[in-house]
Amino acid sequence: MSGGMLYGGDEIGALVFDPGHHSLRVGYAQEDTPKAEIPAVVGVAPDETIKLEPEVKPEESNVSSTPQNKYYIDTTFLHTPRPNMELHSYMKDGMIENWDMFEKILDYSYDKIIQSESQYHPVLFSESPWNHRQKREQLTEIMFEKYKVPAFFLVKNAALAAFANGRATALVIDSGATHTSAVPVLDGYVISNALVKSPLGGDYLILRAREMLEQIGIDLTPSALIASKDVVRDKDKPKFTKKKLSFQPSNSWMTYMVKKTVQDFQQSVLQVSESPYDERIVSNIPSVHYEFPTGYHQDFSSERFKLAEGLFDHAMLGAGYIAATSAGMCDVDIRPALYSSVVLTGGNSLVQGFSERLNRDLSLRTPSSARLKMIAANGTVERRFGAWVGGSILASIGTFQQMWMSMQEYQESGKSQIDRKCP
Amino acid sequence: MASGVTVSDACKTTYEEIKKDKKHRYVIFFIKDERQIDVEVIGARDEEYDQFLQNLQAGGAGECRYGLYDFEYMHQCQGTSESSKKQKLFLMSWCPDTAKVKKKMLYSSSFDALKKSLVGVQKYIQATDLSEASQEAVEEKLRATDRQ
Repeated sequence: MSGGMLYGGDEIGALVFDPGHHSLRVGYAQEDTPKAEIPAVVGVAPDETIKLEPEVKPEESNVSSTPQNKYYIDTTFLHTPRPNMELHSYMKDGMIENWDMFEKILDYSYDKIIQSESQYHPVLFSESPWNHRQKREQLTEIMFEKYKVPAFFLVKNAALAAFANGRATALVIDSGATHTSAVPVLDGYVISNALVKSPLGGDYLILRAREMLEQIGIDLTPSALIASKDVVRDKDKPKFTKKKLSFQPSNSWMTYMVKKTVQDFQQSVLQVSESPYDERIVSNIPSVHYEFPTGYHQDFSSERFKLAEGLFDHAMLGAGYIAATSAGMCDVDIRPALYSSVVLTGGNSLVQGFSERLNRDLSLRTPSSARLKMIAANGTVERRFGAWVGGSILASIGTFQQMWMSMQEYQESGKSQIDRKCP
Repeated sequence: MASGVTVSDACKTTYEEIKKDKKHRYVIFFIKDERQIDVEVIGARDEEYDQFLQNLQAGGAGECRYGLYDFEYMHQCQGTSESSKKQKLFLMSWCPDTAKVKKKMLYSSSFDALKKSLVGVQKYIQATDLSEASQEAVEEKLRATDRQ
């Protein structure tokens, strides 16, 4: 506990980072929402500005004969087409994969969003429940060595989401961009050998939606490339002019922008039907009108349900199935407690009807001795940023200040200390 | 992971008074100044469950609490003709949905500390609304571990 209380008091301004596949959430502890949500992709393009000043330091230009890269971060910069800009994701399987790019994002966060120096703010990071030990240590090392943070803490995002919903023991169903996971949390600790994840998340829905839209011949040109468009009648061929670009945008950029276009479609149109998909039932439900960036618009009816059904109808990977499997792998004594507090979080759980359907699927698998209770925050913000909000509050609790891993402890015991401090 | 909130000695002594001496029926705990769990209300031995629920929610819809109750019910074992009175202690964390996230977080992340200090509680209950905190729901949970 040496030096722990040094950071006591509420006015320390701790920072909370919640990295995910879709975005990185950054902000000050004690606030209700993150200051910024930065897309989890980095645009890399050769830097042309270097050529403008060729005679700065001749000896240095010799050393760096390799072309310098310029990095583009955050929505405004990413959504602009640029020559040769390739987009890369730094996350893989819920964990940070590309540390160089991740550091660029952190630099950007401190510089543009926090607008303060890193050595003044303790930092709380969330991590996926299956994060590797080596990656946790690497993150610890970067935060202490490069950013010189005074104190650091790592918490599993499932535990944060459970706490934010008032539960210390819960089965956390987190449906995010790249996967849906079921994580049992017991007294604030993740039971990591009983967690189950499936690759069916928001990205999967986007992929299916895109296939469907392309099949029926809808032009998915992103709005960033559209100069003007005319009003057309329902289902008429769109009339629009493309922006004139002197270069061809890179493939990865196009893919990303089309994905964003389809994502909007997915969020506004898709709905999970309350019971397993049945053409006759869903045909009675009113259709939803949607207009694409090109100006093309039409009604969508049964497609809405057919696409979203993919999250649930899979025999092994459906959300209800993985939840029941995960609970089934836990000790029989705690299963009733898990079933009676199923916490739903993650941006993808906001697809209309998701919680109702999960409730139904899960109730079919709930053992008779247990009573099912599902807890899902109502607000979009609480659901999308569940883990961040939990972290924000945790880091602002007065007594938590003695829990931090301090710089002093890092210097005395090294990065492996993180596994002891933050199990 | 825990919040670092500690448990006051008064909690432990009151708990012992209920467990060993059966002096009180229930006790309500709260977190004082976000630092320490302390005793708020002590319920007399002859008070009813409804009074416990009332005191648990006395802080209003936005407040969380912990409650410990010495619950009594009749239980009949299979193959016997007489039913016997059973007494079980349960510890409840009360975090209503309407409470602020900060309160929920504080109480749920400190529940473990309280659990560890009060040794011998038979059942832990997490409640977010009355369907989980009502006398029937609690009795059902307590009976679930009884032999038939």
